[in-house]
Amino acid sequence: MDEVLFAGRPTDICLRLPEPIDRATLHRLVTAAQDRLVAAGLRPGGAAALRLPPSLAYVVNLLATWRAGAQAILLDHRLTDHEVDRALARLTPQVVVAPVRSGGGALRIFVDVTEGVSGYADGPAVSGHAVIQLSSGSTGPSKVIGRTAADLVAEVRRYTRIDGVALPGERIILLPSMVHVLGLVGGLLYGLHAGVELVPPERLSGDAVLAAISAGATPATVLGVPFHIGLLASTRPTGPLPQFRRMTTGGELVPAAVAQAFTDRYGVPLGNMYGMTEVGVIGTDLHGSHRPSILPAPGIEVRETDGELWVSCPASPYVGLSDPTRWADGWLHTRDAGTVDPATGLVTVRGRLDSQVSVGGMKVDLTEVEATVAELPGVSAAVVVWDDGITAYVQPDGPLSEETLDKLLAERLAGYKRPRVLHLLDSLPRTTTGKLVRSTDALRSAATP
Amino acid sequence: MGGQPDLGRADLLTMLAELTTKPAAEVPDRIGSMELAWLVHLVEQRYDRQLDLTDDELAGIRTVDDALAVFRASLTAPADG
Repeated sequence: MDEVLFAGRPTDICLRLPEPIDRATLHRLVTAAQDRLVAAGLRPGGAAALRLPPSLAYVVNLLATWRAGAQAILLDHRLTDHEVDRALARLTPQVVVAPVRSGGGALRIFVDVTEGVSGYADGPAVSGHAVIQLSSGSTGPSKVIGRTAADLVAEVRRYTRIDGVALPGERIILLPSMVHVLGLVGGLLYGLHAGVELVPPERLSGDAVLAAISAGATPATVLGVPFHIGLLASTRPTGPLPQFRRMTTGGELVPAAVAQAFTDRYGVPLGNMYGMTEVGVIGTDLHGSHRPSILPAPGIEVRETDGELWVSCPASPYVGLSDPTRWADGWLHTRDAGTVDPATGLVTVRGRLDSQVSVGGMKVDLTEVEATVAELPGVSAAVVVWDDGITAYVQPDGPLSEETLDKLLAERLAGYKRPRVLHLLDSLPRTTTGKLVRSTDALRSAATP
Repeated sequence: MGGQPDLGRADLLTMLAELTTKPAAEVPDRIGSMELAWLVHLVEQRYDRQLDLTDDELAGIRTVDDALAVFRASLTAPADG
């Protein structure tokens, strides 16, 4: 790992938080953290679960876990205790790293964290992967996603061959969470490997992003999700920003009006990336010249089968039960509808074929949300749909208030997964054979008094 | 408040409508962390000042009305410096 991520000069700045952290300092912090993890029971071939918000502590413990020859299980810090307990029971890490104190103020992108390490289980990791990520829930097949060290290294090297990424000596203004694939590989690992400074803005606001750009003299690429484009498009710059080189986002499709407003204001390319937790970056359009299409990344093949995009992926990325309709024979079935232009190879993603939706760049499986609502005490049936936001229609089996429902859900589902709109109905609309109706129109009219 | 009229519920709904591409009348009352970050950002742009909010204040905001109360209190507090 050291030769891939720590090969540069010891005095090179890796992170600005905003105080600069150079490579030698990072290496020293990682070595010390490795000692703490080992003292708490982490062994080569074991696993450490990291339940940390984006922070220096997260970066240090992630790298320390790998240096210890162990697997890192990345748990989004917004997951509830209920969700984390289920994941830990399934993935049996030897140690869990979690904050004992965190602070730094509201709307922080990077948080000040003092972490604690506690022992959990006493066995090897559930797989030989270097990193484990959860795709909306930890139960059921094809929910637990593993990436091998070789696969992560290959993705980092893929980034170095993509025209339009931040170059050595430049900066990435980092907005996406480093717990998820874009921020983890496209931000953290690529940055460390290529000698690109990683600069999280002080807080989540347009002004703070612009301040981060203008705080240094070197070219800056803003990495984010579509939400962040809107944030910048609605921010008045206070002066020229000659360092601003490009903005690149992953996640869902960007509305044309938002992209136009951004370009009108800043006049820099708005790049687009398409990727998945299972394989990382699949394709890019970093010059914004093919919008909304993307060109497959070097070494990645994309094909279209019956309207679905399939991506080359030599081994199944799923831990435990693997659903053959998600991966088979070296192809990942993305569940994204799309087309591949035979002449140019350009890929156009047209939206999901299943119940996954994207909330601010985070994938949420509506099936998981619906199952969680339906299992709540006092609920007899529930339908959860996407109606410009996660919307739940609930049939209670007794007295149940919206407030109680909201409180119960807050204990079980991370905030970004929770329904924004709750409708309590005496009876949910059903088909003549008794099946729950899922049409948003029918549900809306049933909820209209 | 920098010559701007008082912040009202309708202003917040218009801001959320811009984010969710829904008509303001259909914007849900319940807001999450992304909607909240969006509102703070736009209110700060409108009044050209940073809202001095704590983690606890933000964590207590669940609805548009909660957000309005917290923003108003912050805007009427004396600005830093």
